[in-house]
Amino acid sequence: MTSQQDRPRHGERRDFLKSVALGAAAFGIGAAGPEMLSPSVGRAQAAVGKTLKMAFIQFMPHTVPAAWSKGIEDVLSKQGNIDYQLLDGQAKVEVQISLMDTQINDGANVIFLQPVDSVAIGPSIAKAKRAGIPVITLNIDAVEDHAAHVEMSHYAGAMDIAKSMGEAMGGKGKVVIINAPPGIIIRDQRTNGFVDGLKKYHPEIQIIADQPADWDRKKAQDVFTTILAAHPDVTGAFGVNDSMALGVVDVLKQKGMLGKVVVFGDDGEKDALESIEAGELTGTQYTDVYQQGRFAAATAVVLATGGVDASSFRAKGHLLIPYVIATKSTVGQIQPDQRW
Amino acid sequence: MFEFESIAVLRRFPGLALLILFIVLFSLFSVFARRFLSAANIEDLLAGYSFMAILAIGQAFPIIARGVDLSVGSNVGLGAMILFDLNAIFGVPGYAAIPLAIAACALAGALNGLLVTLLRLQPFVATLATLAAYRGGVYAISGRQLYPEFAMHSIRDPWIHSLEAYVDVGRSLGLGRLMKFPSIPLSFLILIGVATAAQIVLSRTRFGLDLKTVGGNREAAHLAGIAVNRIQVAAYTLSGFSAGLVAVILVARFTTATEAAGTGMELTTIAAAVIGGVSLQGGTGNAFGPMLGAFLLGVILIGLTLMGISQFTQQILTGLILLGAVLYDRTTWDHEQAAHARNG
Repeated sequence: MTSQQDRPRHGERRDFLKSVALGAAAFGIGAAGPEMLSPSVGRAQAAVGKTLKMAFIQFMPHTVPAAWSKGIEDVLSKQGNIDYQLLDGQAKVEVQISLMDTQINDGANVIFLQPVDSVAIGPSIAKAKRAGIPVITLNIDAVEDHAAHVEMSHYAGAMDIAKSMGEAMGGKGKVVIINAPPGIIIRDQRTNGFVDGLKKYHPEIQIIADQPADWDRKKAQDVFTTILAAHPDVTGAFGVNDSMALGVVDVLKQKGMLGKVVVFGDDGEKDALESIEAGELTGTQYTDVYQQGRFAAATAVVLATGGVDASSFRAKGHLLIPYVIATKSTVGQIQPDQRW
Repeated sequence: MFEFESIAVLRRFPGLALLILFIVLFSLFSVFARRFLSAANIEDLLAGYSFMAILAIGQAFPIIARGVDLSVGSNVGLGAMILFDLNAIFGVPGYAAIPLAIAACALAGALNGLLVTLLRLQPFVATLATLAAYRGGVYAISGRQLYPEFAMHSIRDPWIHSLEAYVDVGRSLGLGRLMKFPSIPLSFLILIGVATAAQIVLSRTRFGLDLKTVGGNREAAHLAGIAVNRIQVAAYTLSGFSAGLVAVILVARFTTATEAAGTGMELTTIAAAVIGGVSLQGGTGNAFGPMLGAFLLGVILIGLTLMGISQFTQQILTGLILLGAVLYDRTTWDHEQAAHARNG
């Protein structure tokens, strides 16, 4: 555990040293380190001993990508020859496109990507592919074909959520979905899984509203408040991620309605697990996201050290990460060091 | 007194300080950031920031009129969604849908102008209101939301698609064999057109002069018989028009319209305009400053990313440069006021 805690500090120190180098450069001291003079590294065909470059372009700062990044760094830092960078997409496609361009130009060996939009990032992925760079998407798939996609089993997980949620609701009642914005494949996977799960296990439960709250806790509070005004008889709510489910819990708490509405989230972040233990959130689909990051990194390392070019893939690779439906009775199984 | 004199020299050549800063930063990154000075990177810079520069030039018009347009980002989103809906859902071909979308954005800009002039709202308040309203409009008309079958739809219209093109300058000049030239994105050529037109309007036309007079001294402009309200509405309409152009460029690049398209661009464009010497006090500014300002921000972000410096540091640096630009603007303005006081 200590090494895990130390690692971010190493990262900070590296950033700090680079800032110092920039400062020196600005004053004309000319601190040209060996890194700056080294010849460029060939893409995806690095021999042993050469430095490989990988970057993760996240959607926006959030618990999930932060934990992936930690998992990715866990694996990459052990390889000894991989430079890794976490880059922030600021929830904007144009920012992600610009960062993709920079990484392609910089000769990245692998790019990890959590797309802001599954369609709009397509041309950028195609560009990376033309440059031979494998792109690995995390959780949010892209319409454009790429090397691999590593996800939390959205469809099957949401089906299990529907099953568990229906049981908690006694097999009847009215539910609302607090959803992701359109244009993202994960939205369809989780929504379809949930809808199909209700049809299969609890056909009497009705879905009366499905509204986007952009993954955001605050926005989910507003959206759910409005829904509640129109449908005071709601007895279930599915937040397509934990942040939105916790937004629903916030509203219920404030209105003194806790316990009257069954609330499920998705992802399994630390705050959600604590909320379940406190008897507020009913449940969530928990995935060990550190592990998901490690799996993605392992895939990337094998590709990069094996010299696998993006053009060698016949089809997009898929990897589904195992999960647990965490409720009050099962949340205790999740160990402290698996919580993120 | 040396300080004031050097500032006076810089004032005589507006944008000179900015140009020097741009060249210095560009040279530093060329030396210290790997692959910064490569054809591919210049291409990325041009593709990634040309649209921001177009928007910054549009933003300059309301600011010169001593206003501001906070709604540009939402207006971009609105134009993009209108283009998407027209083409994807209603099957309107690109050659008709593109001008319609641009016209809608110009109209939304004109509405800002009317709120500022007819209702006499503070530009900040009026355009803050439309920032929210136009974004709400984007969600309300989002074809991707209303019709789930269009959520994953990619636009393949040849007219729209052809806007995301690159011009191989090296080959067309016959210099391709000498060195690798960056391919120029079409959006950069559009930018050059916009900047040239805007500069001519600002410096050579009656409207340009009147705009600066209105921004510099509203009362005096009124007394001089300038149709102040009409000038202001025109300034916001031009800002809306630039948002329309950017909306079309983004849809061509994304092959779709996202509900969040354009979010936050208002601040970047205001920063670019102010860095580009468009005074927040109104009355002064040119078209090339905001363009250079937008690319300066791009150079910093891309350069620092290539050097592996954290994005938080980048944001702090961007903030500091903006602060520097505003202080520089204030110093010169104070100095000018002092000079006026002495002369008058």
